[in-house]
Amino acid sequence: MIRYDILICGIGGQGAITLGTALKLAAIRAGLSVVGAERRGGAQREGVVTSNVRYRGTVPGEAIDERAMTVSGLIPTAGADMLIAMEPLEALRHAQYLHEDSVVIVNDFPLIPVAVRNGDAVYPTTESIYARLREFTPGVHVFNLDELSRAHFNSLRQVNTISMGLAYGLGNLPVPREALLDTIREQFPDFPKNSRAFELGAELAGKGASRQ
Amino acid sequence: MNQLADNTPGKVILAMGNEAIVRGGLEAGLGYFSTYPGTPASEIGVEYMKLHAEFPHIHAEFSVNEHVAAHGAQGASWAGIRSMVTMKHVGMNVAAEVLHFAGYTGVKAGFLVVIGSDPGATSSTSEQDDRWYSLHTHLPLLEPASIQEAKDYTLRAFALSERYNLPVVLNAPGKLCHNIGSLALGSLPAHPAAKGKFERNPQRYINLFAGSVANHRRAVEAAAALGADAPTLGFNRVIPGTGKTGFISSSINFQYLMESLALLGVTDAPVLKLGLTFPLNADEIASFAKGLDRIIVVEDLEGFVEYQVKWLLYDKNVRLPILGKELFPAWGELDPDVIRDLLAPVLSRTQPARVTRTRELSAALTKDLPPRQGAFCIGCPHRATLYSIVKATDRKVIFAGDIGCYTLSCLPPFRAFDWVTCMNWWVGIAQGRRQKVEGEDLFSYVGDSTFFHSGIPGLINAVQQNANMVLVILDNKWVAMTGHQPSPTTEAAIDGTKMKPVDIKGLLKSIGVTYVRTINPFNIKASTAAIREALRTRTGVRVIIAEQECALQHGRRVTLNPKGFEEYTQIDPGRCQKCNECYIELGCPAIRRRDEGADFHYYIEETACLECGACRDLCPNGAIARTEIRSAKKAAAQ
Repeated sequence: MIRYDILICGIGGQGAITLGTALKLAAIRAGLSVVGAERRGGAQREGVVTSNVRYRGTVPGEAIDERAMTVSGLIPTAGADMLIAMEPLEALRHAQYLHEDSVVIVNDFPLIPVAVRNGDAVYPTTESIYARLREFTPGVHVFNLDELSRAHFNSLRQVNTISMGLAYGLGNLPVPREALLDTIREQFPDFPKNSRAFELGAELAGKGASRQ
Repeated sequence: MNQLADNTPGKVILAMGNEAIVRGGLEAGLGYFSTYPGTPASEIGVEYMKLHAEFPHIHAEFSVNEHVAAHGAQGASWAGIRSMVTMKHVGMNVAAEVLHFAGYTGVKAGFLVVIGSDPGATSSTSEQDDRWYSLHTHLPLLEPASIQEAKDYTLRAFALSERYNLPVVLNAPGKLCHNIGSLALGSLPAHPAAKGKFERNPQRYINLFAGSVANHRRAVEAAAALGADAPTLGFNRVIPGTGKTGFISSSINFQYLMESLALLGVTDAPVLKLGLTFPLNADEIASFAKGLDRIIVVEDLEGFVEYQVKWLLYDKNVRLPILGKELFPAWGELDPDVIRDLLAPVLSRTQPARVTRTRELSAALTKDLPPRQGAFCIGCPHRATLYSIVKATDRKVIFAGDIGCYTLSCLPPFRAFDWVTCMNWWVGIAQGRRQKVEGEDLFSYVGDSTFFHSGIPGLINAVQQNANMVLVILDNKWVAMTGHQPSPTTEAAIDGTKMKPVDIKGLLKSIGVTYVRTINPFNIKASTAAIREALRTRTGVRVIIAEQECALQHGRRVTLNPKGFEEYTQIDPGRCQKCNECYIELGCPAIRRRDEGADFHYYIEETACLECGACRDLCPNGAIARTEIRSAKKAAAQ
């Protein structure tokens, strides 16, 4: 049985929902079943946003067992095979979904909550956040995606496609590279730019096209 | 082409629960759709609007409120057109009067009521369980568990409604409405619904005296007939097992339950999955209970299924322990973790080792994280209005806000709310308090759409009673909070198409409001002065219209029609006194802090700022200025 669960978290407006949708569309292209609920911010911006991506499938010849295959929209505690966090504090806030083999991809670009601005709370140092995440799993990978996107593409719009490349390169996604790239072609404007962004992510993860 | 219009039966698409409901309506040959937008069900209406090109025969509208929306759908059904009305759970209270008659009169064509419910109140002010309405409306109730069932049940609901001559209710919680996954399409009907025709039928439609009683009886008997057929309708089924503890569940909790049982290593539990939770069939429940030692009912909120199961088994003289709300709370939202945690001790099972390890680590390493509360979007006119309200009143008033994006002003930095209950609380409660509480200045605010939903009668009442209050109408031209549906004041669609906005000033004048001022929220100084003047005036109803389009919608239109130049607002670090007026008091997320060693300065993130100008207007040191205007072409070349 094929099963792989990805949790994406971030802040409203960062693209967590868009990324989740792209990862799901790629699954449908690859002939898998996919499901996953979204938690959207209470208003349009600044609130915590999550997207659950839960891949399910059977290998040829495998019988469907309803008790094992029934899958809800929510990943349970310690159930995420991959966590993609668009912000460091949100990575730690969602650490309850990690297990010892989880892969974590964190965008090293803190966004300061209102409570910290007002002096009501303290934002932990990013070093401390990453050290704590590594207590859950050794597979913590930190990249400044905003800076990467800006440096390579002079825009913040490639953060999502770089993330897709990283997810492909760092995790055991049951979705092939072609399905991900075809989804990018269909879902995002400017395919040449976004496919390069995907390749940049895959390359950073040590799984670029040239190394296949 | 919109993927929901694809007529390729068997094709699998990616769809949201709400979209699956839309597709079910299309496959059923829907002809009339109405709604008042409310999270989590809002996207249903948005999709029907988008589908107008492919399905021009479907009338789809955002009605002014749920009462009006439900009446519209009922009228279409009476004329022989399959109709659907959707709303969020609390909207059912507004539509309740209509829907208590809907069972009396029955339907001519299928009539489906879709409720987006919100256990956990993640986007609502209450988590009321609308399923209980069916006990007195007698309307059959469907609870799909998956995205696929959301479509399939919607499709089948229309034939069910016609067969039993009753409107049907479909209840979908937020975690199903916003669940996104695989959906296998069915086929679309070849011929769109024809124009309908209303035929007089006094016996059914005139509910007076004995006629009303006869129709009440008809509704009760129709529901009973449906209940008698329930086991054969195909909405309920048993997952067989040899265990002695049986489970009954419905909706998404069925999926949570199955996952929880698998994680706890329970592989033999019989499960009765209910898709039709009203009316239940006593024989079907008794047959499931046969040979079991106990039954556990897994459902959200107050225990609607458990209540019915208990009295039905009592009637059948079947006695066994039934655990429901003794185990699961009647408040909050169940999820896979809550269900597994509460079931583990009852079933004498231990948690998976993974869960225990992660929980121990979480307890040690993730406590005391700063909360991240919502804030107004960058460029939002409400932020500017609230800043002016707080400055002008110094918070020395009683604040009566309302439901909309601006409800966020109960959070820091504004904290300008004194109560949060139901739609249009500003006007009613405010008047009650004002009549009976001395020495309070009442300050109300309400958004344009909420005002039109049910605020006008309250304002008329306030004028007639000569209430002493200030009301600010936050007219941002859209129902923004639920995803930008048009409001009665919408002036132009995103593509620039002109709409027919309601004239608020004309309306206020006609109901007798004599004190009306209009402000542009981004002009902070002028807005603050206008609010102060209204407060000083101290007699009668004073209305200020804060008129400025939602920044996101404005931005979308500008993106489609770009200006020939770019603007940049920046903070001059030499002039900035770090007084925190912009960074904390206004709290715009585009204004950021950069630490440089022991020192720091504030700056405006150019890629985030939308140039609303509010910070520029309020800066007491003249440190914020529009400092650069470059041609777009030149900027792109750099």
